[in-house]
Amino acid sequence: MELISQIFGGVFAFGPIAAMIGASILGVFIGALPGLNPVMAIALLLPLTYSMEPLVALGMVAGIYNGSMYGGAIPAILLRIPGTPAAIATTFDGFPMAQRGEASRALKIACWSSAIGGTASAIALMTIGPVLARATLYFGPAEYFWVAMFGMASIGVMVGKDAVKGLMAAAFGLLLGTVGLDQLSGTPRFTFGEVWLLSGLDLIVILVGLYALPPVIALAEDRDLKGLSASALKLESVKVPWGEVRSMVPTWLRSSLIGISVGILPGAGGNIAAFLSYNAAKSTSDDPESFGKGNPLGVAAAECGNNADNAASMIPALTLGIPGNVIAALVLGALMIHGLQPGPQLFHQNPGLVGGFMVQMLLTSLLILAVGGAAATRIFAQVQRLPGVMLVPMILVLMAVGVYVINGRVIDLWVMFAAGIAGYVLEKLDVPLAPIVLGLILGPMAEQSVRRALLISRGDPTELFTRPLSAVIALATIGLIVWPMLRAWKRRRA
Amino acid sequence: MTERRQDIILGGVFAATGLSAAYIAAGYRGASGIYPMSLGYVIAILGAIVAIKAMLRGSSEPREIIRKAPQALLTVGIGAIYLALVPILGFYIASALLVLTLPAALGFRRLLFTFVTAAIFVGIVWVIFSVILEKPLPMPVWISY
Repeated sequence: MELISQIFGGVFAFGPIAAMIGASILGVFIGALPGLNPVMAIALLLPLTYSMEPLVALGMVAGIYNGSMYGGAIPAILLRIPGTPAAIATTFDGFPMAQRGEASRALKIACWSSAIGGTASAIALMTIGPVLARATLYFGPAEYFWVAMFGMASIGVMVGKDAVKGLMAAAFGLLLGTVGLDQLSGTPRFTFGEVWLLSGLDLIVILVGLYALPPVIALAEDRDLKGLSASALKLESVKVPWGEVRSMVPTWLRSSLIGISVGILPGAGGNIAAFLSYNAAKSTSDDPESFGKGNPLGVAAAECGNNADNAASMIPALTLGIPGNVIAALVLGALMIHGLQPGPQLFHQNPGLVGGFMVQMLLTSLLILAVGGAAATRIFAQVQRLPGVMLVPMILVLMAVGVYVINGRVIDLWVMFAAGIAGYVLEKLDVPLAPIVLGLILGPMAEQSVRRALLISRGDPTELFTRPLSAVIALATIGLIVWPMLRAWKRRRA
Repeated sequence: MTERRQDIILGGVFAATGLSAAYIAAGYRGASGIYPMSLGYVIAILGAIVAIKAMLRGSSEPREIIRKAPQALLTVGIGAIYLALVPILGFYIASALLVLTLPAALGFRRLLFTFVTAAIFVGIVWVIFSVILEKPLPMPVWISY
């Protein structure tokens, strides 16, 4: 009871409430701008949160996340340009609806579906999260090590096209995490005599570079000199009949379940949830032929599915330290900024903060209904009139200022820039970036855990495998790595 | 360049990075070197697998790294000049110059629009970072000294 009042007291203070509202509005703006995405927005936002209260910072992250996932539907419906990758399935029926003059109706359906999916997902986080966290009470250093390895392996194998490249990226991330003073012995590692490297590579500096620079270069390559005309963004008010809303309830329920299940799986993102939900709605429909031609249920399924992924992806992140997607990894980064170590202990050491963030995920899902209403959507759509080439230098400036204020060092700007160029090239070579980030986040925990386990066992490495729980997680990790390789080998033989 | 050749180079670069890291880490005393050394070897092995896989079964189709080289290189080049100018001209002057020049370099010719947008944008950044958050940002060298 005391914890609940602590959580609600923290969340319903002026700062976190203002942060959630402001960030939700900003999130819808960002989602509505093709080329900008929630990952980039949160990466840019994180440096600003250094001096903020943790719940203000996390409220902003929650608002941007939920807001932008809905915002992506605006250009998807109006222009057939998905504002975020998760909004691709929304274009299938949203744009045909807009073409027959039902853009406003499609946007309303998208808004409600996003709010319902997000709310269901937040409820799942609030109920499944604590149960899973309780199981982690039995973890010792060996289990912590294997949990970190499992997280790395799952992201490495599941994200991207090539499992070997994913694992290589994960190992590289772990190596980057060793740069700086060794926390246990004080030995400087990979510092090459540079004093600024003694504290290690700053996670946020690398994050901003990896996730913000590649989309900026892509925006420059698109060379949008005009933006959109006002006539293309004109919307008319329309009411959705109550009967139609009722008919969407089964679709919302099904899509919420699909989105939550996909969200919990590491590596699968909102776009997969949206596609699966869309396909499920189509296959269970009496009129599957109407999908792709402007069926409102298609919009409802896609939007509900992609938003139901949001909070659910935080379940493994907050309880085990394994992020379900890149945004969950960024949330772990936000927690690290405030001195909290992601991993199984997070839930037990900071229940007020973790619980507060869960409530914020719920509240910001509901806020979509307020900030994504018809009038607001009409305003948000106008941001697409800004030429893309103007956004390029603006984002570069925001990246620079955000990174500079972390440590007040110009060298960080160059580290960010180098990370961004490396990220741009690696992505083109099908090397996923998420495992690198996860390696940086989980690396220190993995190393300290394995060294502690070995200290306890006086150097006996079998300690890592012989405890029943650690053996199970170790086997699961090995299975996760070997299984896709076996499958690929079998496919080749067939 | 074909996918095969790109992956051979990629695998080679990672293998070399991993081996270098392992070699350097071998010189660290006690347990502080074992973990990075092991990671170095893992990266080297995985890099070698990527390269060998590409040699044996790599696609000979071209894979695009830069979609539009002039725009991408221009942005990276002007971005690098901007970062070099930040400690000299100070954050705000360098940023204003970037917002004015980069769109023009990319072919945007509406000068008044650019000026107004640059002024509003830099103004907003100044209000947020210098007035509200009171963050110290690089000043021009002639003011710093």
